[in-house]
Amino acid sequence: MSPPDPQRVGVPSSRLMTVALLGAGVLALAGGGAFYLASQKALRPVEAGLIPVRVGDKSCEPMDLTVPAGRTVFEIENASNRPIEWEILDGVMVVEERENIAPGFRSQLAARLKPGVYDITCGLLSNPRGKLTVTASAHSEAERAKPPLKAFIGPLSEYKVYLTLQAGQLIQGAKALSSAIESGDIQAARSAYAKARTAYRHVEAVSGRFADLENAIDPVAAYLALREEDPAFTGFHRIELGLWRNSSVADLSPVAEKLIVDVEALRDRLKTVRFEPADLTGYASREARRLAEGAVVSGDSLYAGDDIAEFAAAVDGLEKPVSLLLPLASEASPDVAKAVTDAFAAARAELGKLAGSGAVPVAYTEVSPEARKGLASTFVAIADAIDRINPALGLE
Amino acid sequence: MRMSGLVGASALAFILSSGAFAQEASLDLVEPIAEYKIYVSEKLAKLVEDTTAFTDAVKAGEVDKAKELFAPTRLSYEAIEPIAELFSDLDASIDSRADDYEKAEADPEFPGFHRIEYGLWEKNSTEGLAPVADKLLADVKELEGRIASLTFPPEKVVGGAAVLMEEVAATKISGEEDRYSHTDLWDFRGNFDGARKIVDLVRPLIADKEADFLKTVDANFETVDTTLAKYKDGDGYVTYDKLTDDDRKVLAAAVNTLAEDLSTLRGKLGLD
Repeated sequence: MSPPDPQRVGVPSSRLMTVALLGAGVLALAGGGAFYLASQKALRPVEAGLIPVRVGDKSCEPMDLTVPAGRTVFEIENASNRPIEWEILDGVMVVEERENIAPGFRSQLAARLKPGVYDITCGLLSNPRGKLTVTASAHSEAERAKPPLKAFIGPLSEYKVYLTLQAGQLIQGAKALSSAIESGDIQAARSAYAKARTAYRHVEAVSGRFADLENAIDPVAAYLALREEDPAFTGFHRIELGLWRNSSVADLSPVAEKLIVDVEALRDRLKTVRFEPADLTGYASREARRLAEGAVVSGDSLYAGDDIAEFAAAVDGLEKPVSLLLPLASEASPDVAKAVTDAFAAARAELGKLAGSGAVPVAYTEVSPEARKGLASTFVAIADAIDRINPALGLE
Repeated sequence: MRMSGLVGASALAFILSSGAFAQEASLDLVEPIAEYKIYVSEKLAKLVEDTTAFTDAVKAGEVDKAKELFAPTRLSYEAIEPIAELFSDLDASIDSRADDYEKAEADPEFPGFHRIEYGLWEKNSTEGLAPVADKLLADVKELEGRIASLTFPPEKVVGGAAVLMEEVAATKISGEEDRYSHTDLWDFRGNFDGARKIVDLVRPLIADKEADFLKTVDANFETVDTTLAKYKDGDGYVTYDKLTDDDRKVLAAAVNTLAEDLSTLRGKLGLD
């Protein structure tokens, strides 16, 4: 096999070359081949349009590069006496890299880069890094205001991971609740209840859309004909009624067992939801308004009275999908991103104020209608702020 | 009119889905990327658990026990190596080799698994390794925490399979990774499982259009499996020096082809 022309090596052939050299298991060949190739490369100038980077024993040359956003092809020359890998780093993340460039060899690397400042590695881990500045282009400016579909895959995946993990917590919580009820341990049951509710609040922006499961898991007596006596009064609040108002686990076992079945069904249902990019804020905004109009005003945990903790969990659940879009939103419109962050902070501050400074948060029955209205308005403000994200990202 | 309009629309839909826009990334990737993250999270939970036992043994001066735990502990790390590019700093402090440091093994900066491996096998001792062990455990815990809050870029996940196969082909195949313990076959097991997981997760997206590609990739993974199976020893593998030259060539050829083939996966999924 003849050695590949180092001037022409693209991605696959550079890999083939290193594999061929190492695969042969003869390091002497690498030395000899490198020498041969090194002696050849000086004969030809660097191809036009390539950005040359020469890596020496201690540093890169140049140490400071500027290229426009978009696709750039770098040609890395290993002018040191050890094999090197060359990387473009965005913080700790490797954006692109070329492994194992033998001494004396050149290797090309194509990278599609967004505007920003990156590090480039220059040989040994202890060597100082160089700087790569990527300047905006017309195309990158357009993508800022309207990111391509693939920019949303990561955030959407992460939200699904979150829902999956929270659904897992919810199932665990429901099981712990059921066994505490089974063993008649009211304190343990109350604390398992609170844990399960936190997980439920985290997924509620989505689960609230499944009417059948919502009616099985989370119906409130006020909406049922016979109120607390209604056979359809089941799920969480039926258990809450027993544990707090009645201070008894009587009759709760079958309810708790059914709850496990229902939250397992919820997990499976959540798995099948197919979100569009606009849904990340859409679901959260709708849920924030729903809470502002209903639960925050009327109270939701009528027997336990721990609404403040529940609303705090709800705020976390609303913020999750939105936070996943914030990196894109900050690029597109820093104002919008800031409004969103501020709105969440304001709602949390309001909840903190209402909870008071005691070890146990103030019961919601103690919270005045005016104070409830004030809290509701912070939820509306959250919805208003997140509603600005989709237009800023060209999602409408 | 209405009929022909429908036919036209469905013909257009067919064209859109099958050819003209094949390079466009699809939201079908959301589910595989989410599942991959859950896979990684499970591996990391196991890594933290195993590393705790491993570093406990190192700190207790139990050389034999530490040697026994070294390779199985690394298995989970090697399985998530396709995405090591997402945490290059921790990858360096957990898994870098002596070559990355100016004074090689003698360099006080040389950290992580391989620094401990060097002590255990070359010196048959845990002397001076306690701080290295503490740092290693702290690093894998930090890794677990960091991954939990990290959004995975899809192109890094899909591209990671190829990047790792390239690394195996370019360097690991020489036995450089576990040069003191020669437990490389364990690492290979983790690496191939981790890369194959990615292929399996995106398989439904390309099963129809890329049947031949998948057939070749599967065949090469099978070759690797068959070859590694010959060197199985209990729950693990014999040392790398037992690998025959012929089998090394078979492995090298398979991983080389995998690296080449998988480097096209990003493009096939519209992630270039």
